[in-house]
Amino acid sequence: MTNMNEVASRPGFGASPHASGVDLGQVPAKMTARDVNFYYGDFHALKNIAMDVPEKQVTAIIGPSGCGKSTLLRIFNRIYAIYPNLRATGEIILDGENILDPKYSLNRLRSKVGMVFQKPVPFPMTIFENVAYGIRHHEKLSRSEMENRVEQALRGAALWDEVKDKLKQSALGLSGGQQQRLCIARGIALKPEVLLLDEPTSALDPIATSRIEQLVEELKRDFTIVIVTHNMQQAARCSDMTAFMYMGELIEFDRTEKIFTKPDKKQTEDYITGRFG
Amino acid sequence: MSASLYTTRRIKNVIAMVLSVIATGLGLFFLAWILWETLSQGASALKPQLFTKITAYREEGGLANAMIGSLILNFLGILIATPIGVAAGTWLAEYSRRSRLGPTIRFLNDILLSAPSIVLGLFVYTIVVLPSKYLSNGNVTFSGLAGGVALALIALPVIVRTTDEMLRLVPGTLREAALSLGVPQWKLTTQILIRSARSGIVTGVLLALARISGETAPLLFTAFGNTFTSLNPLTPMASLPQIIYEYTKDPSPDINTIAWAGAFVLTMFVLALSLIARFAFRSKVSHD
Repeated sequence: MTNMNEVASRPGFGASPHASGVDLGQVPAKMTARDVNFYYGDFHALKNIAMDVPEKQVTAIIGPSGCGKSTLLRIFNRIYAIYPNLRATGEIILDGENILDPKYSLNRLRSKVGMVFQKPVPFPMTIFENVAYGIRHHEKLSRSEMENRVEQALRGAALWDEVKDKLKQSALGLSGGQQQRLCIARGIALKPEVLLLDEPTSALDPIATSRIEQLVEELKRDFTIVIVTHNMQQAARCSDMTAFMYMGELIEFDRTEKIFTKPDKKQTEDYITGRFG
Repeated sequence: MSASLYTTRRIKNVIAMVLSVIATGLGLFFLAWILWETLSQGASALKPQLFTKITAYREEGGLANAMIGSLILNFLGILIATPIGVAAGTWLAEYSRRSRLGPTIRFLNDILLSAPSIVLGLFVYTIVVLPSKYLSNGNVTFSGLAGGVALALIALPVIVRTTDEMLRLVPGTLREAALSLGVPQWKLTTQILIRSARSGIVTGVLLALARISGETAPLLFTAFGNTFTSLNPLTPMASLPQIIYEYTKDPSPDINTIAWAGAFVLTMFVLALSLIARFAFRSKVSHD
């Protein structure tokens, strides 16, 4: 353990050998999961997960329903901790520190790791307030600074042009796709380093979906992105790395083109080609 | 699908429909009958003096002191019950998740909800009215305040329950979304959850108000009654239900008529509150 911590605290640690043994090329790991196990009460939902999330890349997690992909994502910002009887063991290293350590501040973790959910969940406030709300909790900004920040976030989420004239209106009046982009704006407004997307397009129509996918492509310039998706084409289209999970285990984790063209494991191939799942 | 199966289903459908229309009609029929009866019996007393004169004038008077008393008593009851009820309901819905205390308190609250109101009146008599003798030279004084406390005890479980239920209807994803921004629980609760459930909570408060404005029993040993107008909650106060109760027992037919008029006013008040509550709730639904 001490050895690992030493390695973890060394600068440029990301370039050292990776937990999952997968070659990320020149890309350093932003987050590293080691020996992660997760329990819903007595149910062992994740088994010995080890993977590296490469910095400023898109990592997709795919797998059949109930395989644990959302569970894994929800450990990355410890959002599972709001429910009783859920327990994670092992380590998830973010910038050299273990975020599963109870001493790691949730406030700090969540300002570094943002999350967007399956269904768009705007707060019952104006569009402006939806974006400003999170920022206000972490930083004290003047009025004009705040306006800039909100505009920046909305532009970043490709929503600015559609809402700039109705910032004072309720966010509940936006369409589903707009609401989801608002949630992305809300997430990136905090300037996180990692953005977790939990099936962000499963409640959206194809046009809204393709806008979000384009957006993911643009966002990876600034953020490390992990996206859970049901849709294999989506993973193939917009990710650099793909993890295939099955029954709580990480079966295969590799570059997306490899996973979709010549996966090493038979289970991965069966799933990709639609033989089960 | 075979034609005979289809016909059978159509017949069943018609029967079910007819039965439910009859049931609805029956309910509405009695409501209309109550309104008509109170209106027709009290019509001759429904004149301006009903609202301007007090009960001290008997047949020549009105119910002004009782209406003012009722407003003050209901206001006191809601004023006491709302903060406690909303806070308790919030605790039940948002904070009791990890403790076993939550379900127990929810159960006890349901018992309070169905407690006979006369028992609550007697309870307040012992804890508020009787101890008043230590404050006023040994005189036991009935008071509007004691009446307000009794009404608060009736309103409280209604408000606790609606707040609890309305907050639990707020989707969990909203909580997750706020918490994943690093927002602490107290901000989430006060600024997002209560706001989302606001119209439901207001509806609960209005329904509690409708419920207590018709209560007589808890006021008999607390607010007691007063033939004059009293604005001081430390003195006995009249209230509409209590005056109706006394006036219907009166031998004078004119007094009985005033009781009918009072009953009509009270019914309309409760009806209006229910309609406002319904309207507030509907405006929330159209918001989504």
